[in-house]
Amino acid sequence: MKITDASVRPYPAGDSTLARMAVEAAELGFDSVVAIGEGAPRVGGPAVLRGAVISGASPKEVIKQVREPAAQHADVIFVNAGDIAFNRAVVSIKEVQVLRNIHAARKNAFDHVAARSAAQRGLAVDISLAPLIQYRGTKRQRALQQYEDILLLHRRYGFLLTISSGACSILEQRSVREIRGLCALFGMTGAEVNEALASVGRIVEPDQPVRVVG
Amino acid sequence: MRPRPPAMRTKRRYILARILPYGATPDQKEVYLSVVEAATSLFGDAAVGLAQPAVVFCDGGYAVIRCRRGTEKDIATALATVTAIGVCRAALRAVAVSGTIHALKRRVRPIRPLSGDGEMTIEGRCFTMYRYPRQKVDLVEKSIKHQKLLFFTEPDLEER
Repeated sequence: MKITDASVRPYPAGDSTLARMAVEAAELGFDSVVAIGEGAPRVGGPAVLRGAVISGASPKEVIKQVREPAAQHADVIFVNAGDIAFNRAVVSIKEVQVLRNIHAARKNAFDHVAARSAAQRGLAVDISLAPLIQYRGTKRQRALQQYEDILLLHRRYGFLLTISSGACSILEQRSVREIRGLCALFGMTGAEVNEALASVGRIVEPDQPVRVVG
Repeated sequence: MRPRPPAMRTKRRYILARILPYGATPDQKEVYLSVVEAATSLFGDAAVGLAQPAVVFCDGGYAVIRCRRGTEKDIATALATVTAIGVCRAALRAVAVSGTIHALKRRVRPIRPLSGDGEMTIEGRCFTMYRYPRQKVDLVEKSIKHQKLLFFTEPDLEER
């Protein structure tokens, strides 16, 4: 079981380089990180996976972007959530692996229909800790409501969840223990957090029937 | 006034938190204000009032936060939502929880810059380098106000 931070944004998007973020992630208890836009094999330290974020206005645009070389070379493909029709359409696109930015979408934008499709396809929904850490007041309250709703659907339909810090800096990265505390704010148990932190590994290397070679 | 007998005193817990970035020396009061602001915005006045958080020690890149027993998990969660101390970007990482300050002070590992500080220019800006163990290099912009911070490693500098 690999504990993975599902998205970090290293320099030049942030103020910390990928190598530095990887070192910090290892100290914070992670086995791997997904770097948005970057990712190179590292010798020693935690594994670094390459992530690509797609934000399209329509599912057609998403399909077009998914077939571009940048997305093809990525280990994990994220799509920013949109309205209810967009999310229902996006979860059925084969190449899409994670639906992110769910806190920024409208209430109920990810409904039971999308949840069932996500569970059948093995698509994950990302829970970003950035709104819980960075926001204050009503914005954070709305994010907590959204995450609680997602958790309810997750318990009912069993789709995957991923947890990301969304960190642009080492100052925004959080340890596994701190993540457990933050996720407890919207009712996530320790076992669910562990499972969600290990989900990226399951997305990258899905369970397949054993093949006998030779 | 006579002190209360030990059995009637409030039971307390102490949280050791590391202050990031390395080299930051914030004022104890500023740390307290940041912690209380973070905790109040997360749990509300009533919960924080009962938790009675206080910063009892702040030096050498570490802070010790006192709270009532049973609220240490909530306060540790609130510490994770601290994004600034005063006007400077910072983070507080909970390292350990104990019933005595003495036990926590044994866990303190002071992080001092290694020798070999220097200067470098990135995108036309002049930075001072501070090297730390595990090949970490912090770059602090040379300016009076709004100093930019960059977090690199030795291999990153060698690539430039």
